[in-house]
Amino acid sequence: MKGIELIKKAFALQNVERVPWVPFVGCHGGHLINVTASEFLKSSDLIFKGVSKAVEIYKPDGIPVLFDLQVEAEALGCRLVWSDDNPPAVVSHVLLEGKTLSDLSVPSSTDGRIGIAIDAAKKLRKEFPDIALYGLITGPYTLALHLLGTDIFMKMLEAPEEILALLDFTKEVGKAMAGYYIDAGCDIIAVVDPMTSQIDPDSFEMFVHEPAKEIFDFIRAKGKLSSFFVCGHAQQNIEAMCATHPDNISIDENIPLDFVRDIALKNEISFGGNLKLTVVLLMGTPEDARREAMECLDLGGKIGFVLAPGCDLPKDTPPENIKAITELVNDEYLQQVERAKEKSETEIALLNMKDYGRVNKVIVDIITLDSESCAPCQYMVEAVKRVAPHFEGIVVWREHAIKKMEAVTFMNSLLVKNIPTICIDGKIAFVSKIPPQNELIAAIQQRINEKFKLIISSRRAEVLILGKNDAECKEAREAVELAMKETGKHISLKTSTDSAMKATFGVVNTPAIILTEHKIKARGEVPSVDIIKEWLKDI
Amino acid sequence: MEEILSKIAHCVEFGKVNKAAPYPPDMKGLDGADELTREALDSGVKADVILKQALVEGMDRVGKKFSEKKIFIPQMLMSAKAMNAAIEHLKPYFKSGEVQRKGKFIIATVQGDLHDIGKNLVKMSIEGAGWEVIDLGVDVKVEKLLAAIEENPGAKIGLSALLTTTMGNMKDAVAAIKSKYPNNEVLIGGAPVNDDFRKQIGADYYAPDPQGVVAHLNK
Ligand code: B12
Repeated sequence: MKGIELIKKAFALQNVERVPWVPFVGCHGGHLINVTASEFLKSSDLIFKGVSKAVEIYKPDGIPVLFDLQVEAEALGCRLVWSDDNPPAVVSHVLLEGKTLSDLSVPSSTDGRIGIAIDAAKKLRKEFPDIALYGLITGPYTLALHLLGTDIFMKMLEAPEEILALLDFTKEVGKAMAGYYIDAGCDIIAVVDPMTSQIDPDSFEMFVHEPAKEIFDFIRAKGKLSSFFVCGHAQQNIEAMCATHPDNISIDENIPLDFVRDIALKNEISFGGNLKLTVVLLMGTPEDARREAMECLDLGGKIGFVLAPGCDLPKDTPPENIKAITELVNDEYLQQVERAKEKSETEIALLNMKDYGRVNKVIVDIITLDSESCAPCQYMVEAVKRVAPHFEGIVVWREHAIKKMEAVTFMNSLLVKNIPTICIDGKIAFVSKIPPQNELIAAIQQRINEKFKLIISSRRAEVLILGKNDAECKEAREAVELAMKETGKHISLKTSTDSAMKATFGVVNTPAIILTEHKIKARGEVPSVDIIKEWLKDI
Repeated sequence: MEEILSKIAHCVEFGKVNKAAPYPPDMKGLDGADELTREALDSGVKADVILKQALVEGMDRVGKKFSEKKIFIPQMLMSAKAMNAAIEHLKPYFKSGEVQRKGKFIIATVQGDLHDIGKNLVKMSIEGAGWEVIDLGVDVKVEKLLAAIEENPGAKIGLSALLTTTMGNMKDAVAAIKSKYPNNEVLIGGAPVNDDFRKQIGADYYAPDPQGVVAHLNK
């Protein structure tokens, strides 16, 4: 199914076969094509290139054109400070620099960098007709903060009419921007208003509700979808956000996803976000990213949820981490593996594997999800099956499908982290990749050789001849000596005429030749009873 | 005396600056922190008592409510404004030495970082707790920090960082301070930092919110 359709389904709260995935690539697009944030955010060609690259490697269902909440403020006359590895920052506030609200007018589609954004949107639309294009606009409250600075906080309480008028203006800017993006072909308009995370629900209701609602109504009237993004601690305002009637709300890592899910679904609104930006996506490993995404997928569920980062991806986020999420989203089996691993980390006691692999046979364990339903698992099992007959009687193999709890315990005890994995005598040998036949044979052969060396060095034998000190006895001794010479074995050879000895072995007729073999099974330690039982079975 | 002190504390808690202030609506037309502090001083209440029993008390309640998310930035800023209106009247007593503050506290947002909302809230709370605060602003270079410490020996230092990209600058600043002034206590804060990071960079204390800083300073 096309990304755009999947997202529409999720927005309409229909059950989806797969959760849609929208990586919020902003100046991270610059990282993907090796340019600085300021180069990237000032050029529609670079934005087009960076976002195209992101589409290629992250296979998203939807993606923003541009994540830069300074565009409108800049077009209205605020000064920006640029940075190489972050979006720019607003450092001057027009309304504190002698201008009044009546001096400002809604920017046109070509003012400041708006033209660049719209141009990039058009190009991306043409190139990617099947994915949902998000047009991001600065929310009315955040734009008001840019225009007035942090004075806005106190003025809300001291001169509320002024702030209401200011938000009435920023709302008009928002509608105009939404219109420009819609005309350029965007499917979804996201109103991004992080500053609302810093106010209480009453202030939200008084200052933000009307403007936001009007923008969402405007988008709906144009036949497009909307989303309300708030990065930050906005837990107190989730209800109030829903009341402005967007089609979707998107939240960051500070807010528990189940909390948002319950409120959003109760209000019949879809929801998304929540992947941890800094500690996981930026600083973590692909493994961490996968685990985090799995948690979100499970909490979010298949009705109304859109998987996305909490906010704008930091520029230098390692692409491997984001790709790991793409893989997970598109692979049911990987998700099951991830879930099983999650369970395993919390609930499981480990087995003591110290003695594993000390029996005479070589044991090949294949840890799988379930070879019937997971293709790579199946191939791995088949590879082992094919090779085992080469070592008839020496190699024993077994599959451990981690859908069963014992198998999960086993997997953890062997410190196996990936599925499928082949272990030989308890040691990880092949991870995820199906070994070519010759490699697998070589690995098993190597283990057998090691074991044999060990066995040989642990063997002691002696030959005992029981007789009467006669010619026959002498002949027997010579025959044994010759045999030892021809086979190159040096074994101690004894002759005994003791009748008590004959009795012990139950020998009546002489000469008798007795071969005794000792095997040293343990040195300087006490093996477990289970292990000793295994040895005894060999006798 | 008790009564006027509790009235001032109430004004600070609810952000009533002066009589003319429209906020909070339910106190319209009543005297604010400004008038009441003047009145208290005129009627002979000691500046020191006003600071400790009205302002510190009021800001303490505000800090608690903020950390419990019962109030948000706008309300907190109004409280700080009311407190400042009162402090204006106390300034001559600070200068004359009649009121002793608890010590000096230098605060700054680290180099490259322009976020100051959080830093300002911390500053107000520390002031409200009876400290003299020297605010170096945002995007503060290490040299400026070192110069401020040189001028104010023994001062404690508070550093704020909101960006992962400026956490490194925080680390450098702490290292520079510690190598030159190992005995000055350095506190850190800001959304992306935590106690693990504090340990890593060798700062002395991390607090998640202004209330945490104040509680630590009062120890
Ligand atoms: C307001 C804001 C801005 C304003 C800042 C206005 C101002 N005068 O401060 C503006 C618009 C200018 C801005 C710019 C940028 N921002 Co900004 N901004 C925010 C926002 C919305 C709120 C931050 C805030 O003030 N929180 C409220 C205060 C009270 O909380 P706080 O700072 O954490 O402080 C508390 C505690 O941490 C503690 N504390 C703070 N300092 C100290 C110090 C000490 C000593 C102690 C003990 C405690 C302590 O006490 C405080 C009170 O409880 C956040 C997102 C969000 N919703 O949280 C993004 C956010 C911080 N910004 C972000 C970014 C990326 C930027 C920009 C690079 C790009 C951009 N424009 O978006 C620029 C960078 C500019 C620069 N070089 O610094 C990111 C940071 C990501 C990261 N971790 O690196 C965030 C998280 C948004 C996001 N998810 O993308 N931003």
